[in-house]
Amino acid sequence: MIASVFYFLSFVSIFFAVMVVVSKNPVHSVLYLILTFFSIAGHYLLLNAQFLALVHIVVYAGAIMVLFLFVIMLLNLNAATEPVKSSLMKFAGAIAGGSLMLVLIAVLSKINSIQPAHEVNTQIGLIKNLGKILFTEYNLPFEVASILFLVAMIGTVILAKKNPHTS
Amino acid sequence: MILSIYNFTLLTDKIHSFLSAHMSEEFVLTTELVLIGLLIVTFVAVLAMVLIYTERKVAAYMQLREGPNRVGIYGTGQVVADVLKLVLKEGITPNGADKLMFNLAPYIVLSTCIMALAPIAFGNGLVLWDLNIGVLYITSITSLGVIGILIAGWSSNNKYSMLGAMRSGAQIVSYELSAGLCIISIVVLAGSMQMSEIVNSQADGWWIFKGHLPVIVAFIIFIIAATAELNRAPFDLAEAESELTAGFHTEYSGMKFAMFFLAEYINMFVLCAMAATLFLGGWMPFHIGHWTTFNNVMDYIPSPLWFLGKTFFIIFIIMWFRWTFPRLRVDQLLDLEWKYLLPISMINLLMIALMNILGWHF
Amino acid sequence: MNVVIALTITGILNLFGSIFSYRKITPLLSIIGLTTAIVFNSMYWNTNQSFFNHMMVVDNYAVAFGTVCMVLAACLIIFYNRFMGDNDHHLPEVLSVIVLSVDGAIVMVSYTNLLMLFLGVEILSISFYILAGLKKKDLGSNEAAIKYFLMGAFSTGFLLLGITLIYGATASFDLSVISEYVKLNSTSTNYLLLSGVLLILVGLLFKVAAAPFHFWTPDVYQGAPTIITAFFATVGKIASFGAFYRLFQMCFSPIVNEWSGVIMVVAIITMFIGNITALQQKNLKRMFAYSSIAHAGYMLLALLSHDYLGGNAILFYSIAYGISSMSAFIIIHIIQTQTGTDEAMGFAGLVHKNKTLAMITAISMLSLSGIPLTAGFFGKFYLFSSAIESGYVLLVCLAVINSFIGIYYYFKPVIESYFKDSITDDVIKLKSVETILLIFLSIATILLGIFPGLVPAI
Repeated sequence: MIASVFYFLSFVSIFFAVMVVVSKNPVHSVLYLILTFFSIAGHYLLLNAQFLALVHIVVYAGAIMVLFLFVIMLLNLNAATEPVKSSLMKFAGAIAGGSLMLVLIAVLSKINSIQPAHEVNTQIGLIKNLGKILFTEYNLPFEVASILFLVAMIGTVILAKKNPHTS
Repeated sequence: MILSIYNFTLLTDKIHSFLSAHMSEEFVLTTELVLIGLLIVTFVAVLAMVLIYTERKVAAYMQLREGPNRVGIYGTGQVVADVLKLVLKEGITPNGADKLMFNLAPYIVLSTCIMALAPIAFGNGLVLWDLNIGVLYITSITSLGVIGILIAGWSSNNKYSMLGAMRSGAQIVSYELSAGLCIISIVVLAGSMQMSEIVNSQADGWWIFKGHLPVIVAFIIFIIAATAELNRAPFDLAEAESELTAGFHTEYSGMKFAMFFLAEYINMFVLCAMAATLFLGGWMPFHIGHWTTFNNVMDYIPSPLWFLGKTFFIIFIIMWFRWTFPRLRVDQLLDLEWKYLLPISMINLLMIALMNILGWHF
Repeated sequence: MNVVIALTITGILNLFGSIFSYRKITPLLSIIGLTTAIVFNSMYWNTNQSFFNHMMVVDNYAVAFGTVCMVLAACLIIFYNRFMGDNDHHLPEVLSVIVLSVDGAIVMVSYTNLLMLFLGVEILSISFYILAGLKKKDLGSNEAAIKYFLMGAFSTGFLLLGITLIYGATASFDLSVISEYVKLNSTSTNYLLLSGVLLILVGLLFKVAAAPFHFWTPDVYQGAPTIITAFFATVGKIASFGAFYRLFQMCFSPIVNEWSGVIMVVAIITMFIGNITALQQKNLKRMFAYSSIAHAGYMLLALLSHDYLGGNAILFYSIAYGISSMSAFIIIHIIQTQTGTDEAMGFAGLVHKNKTLAMITAISMLSLSGIPLTAGFFGKFYLFSSAIESGYVLLVCLAVINSFIGIYYYFKPVIESYFKDSITDDVIKLKSVETILLIFLSIATILLGIFPGLVPAI
């Protein structure tokens, strides 16, 4: 049961991820991306990490993708404005990506016994356990992440704000 | 405890055991899902009709009119007639529209609203899915409705729709922040995100009474943010009829329009039910200290009635807003959120956390 | 730990500069903050403290690299009015981004957990994307920011995937646990671990701008404001190498045979591409971008050494390279604002315009090309000897050939400034603090070239 759900979700997420790249219309790409995020949230649910699943939906589908849609709709991109890439570039890209895929598939096929390397705590994804581990063991990364967000916020203000002297 | 006479877990358990006695496990699951689906559909349909009727009557009384009064008793048949009209009308898809997206958008909006009903505690033991992060679930699912609105506005290929969708998207994304902070402040007090736990934490008094000024502030901000998230007056810039015809659903007609309409009312119910659960104690009856007789009388009122009563009270407040405040400008709207509500609710959240740590609430 | 706190507080204090109207003194404030952090940092020397469940450890390696990064950042802030240009309005914000990015550099050189590595890399990179786009009206600067951002985000994805695979193999983010696991299983081939190492290599090689992940470097270095380019080429590169060496030396040295081939090939390609392409560049910023690619190639040699000799070599090289390329970029900027061109001919007749500046140009170019009696010589000497001791003689021969190629283009500006006539006769005037700083950097270059023992062993 769980295995078949897993395979279904994996198929769906890969399929939609491919559609993101393939589809001509950028708005359709964004919508496929949202569906990809949903299927990844489904994977979190399979891992009994309900909190992460919902946060994933809130953050990616609810916030980031909405902003994405905003920008893309305002840009009015369509197939006509897409830059024409030379076939040489496409060929090179296909070879590079294909080699990476080959290496990864070769590696994964060598791992014949997939066993958890350590005892897995299946309750770790629940919000109480997650909160405890974030504020004890991983306290420092949790705090340092705030510096990262602070930098990003200052950066957006610098880049987006008009300079009153020049305009 | 006398509350147990209206405990619906007994009823649901009885149904479950009855079904299990007669069918295999998978069939039980399927039957229960179908039953729940039917219940939800009926509930949604009835709710929408009741809300439309209430809206029209409230509006009428505020403007010293009669409101609908011809069809049926006190005009109750008017709603049925309206619904029939919308169902029978032709649904037009404009030529320049992105066909698939255009037809998909109403379903996305409606299904997100209905999904948000799942963790709401309608009564004692009357919860569809009491998951341990119910509050977060509701906020995350309601935030998805924006995507449907944006798709609707974009795929209509109409500048009014586009502008309306943009406005409503910006508005919803902004006001979600302060609404979220107000919700978190109650989560801090209750110590859980589970709807039933939050309701149980108010057995000895609702948070709005126990939590002093900060909770009252949070309640007020939540109501304002909810009104804005619903795109209702005074925050109805997204469908400001004098500027934008009808906003993102300008091009929609017939049943597809009805679905947006329906979604709006269900959303209103969900957000007001949230407010009722978080601040007004959900299905918990109203108790006063040690007035045992009074408290017992209150306990005899069934819990769903308490819940629906509180929810409709808040819905009434939101309808009242509509005929009281004039519409805001876009810049005023965004200023209100980013410069006033958000900082206030952040400081408020800190106050509540402090209050909770020091144990200053009742 | 105090270092991170001091830097963060400085960054936040800078932000309040606009509100409480002390924006004029924010550069001074940042320098004071950085100095305080340097003092805190040097107090950790020889203490080897570990913080917060083994998330960060401040050993001598971390102290040394952290100090280098902070000193270079402080030098950069002295030139604040030169990179602000028309952006003067945002001075406090830009300074706080710079100070906070040093925070990222500190995390990158002192992490003992892969999560901290990721956070450090992200803090540093995100501030770099912002700084690259500081000239908002300039198309080149916009291009630099977008290019850097897109490529950087993509490479961070590789880093993250690598970290995930390593977690899958070893069940830990902790470097000590990972190194224990690698030691125990070094004989058998663990494919999950190896592919993780490979992907982390890709991510980090991008950050240090090694070929074939170097394509962003010339455009970004050319487009960004010149002083900011100096920041990228020094602090960015040194912090990335600090992180790189720490990870591979601590964790993956038992399986060095598995990845040394990759590093060798990358190092050779990087050196040749960097040096040969630099020969053809007319634009000095582009030329220095390629030269910094070549330097990344030399520094990769240190990763191959078996013992802590490589750590000392990479530290010395970082200091030598950092101070000389810092002064080189600053001079390019001065010439650029004076003559309006960033090609080598802008240097023509520099000796008549400003003798000190010409002198400093000569010293920094000598050091970058690795001529004896400058710091650059001993940097290369230590690097090459550490590689030879580990048995990579052929690689070192190729590196020496490359150093000789490098001399050709490093001497272009020197020859221009001493032996060509200038187009204009106007004298270049500098603020006294700027001159003092440049002289200080040159003296440091020469001192380290004569007394290399000044840099303590780690």
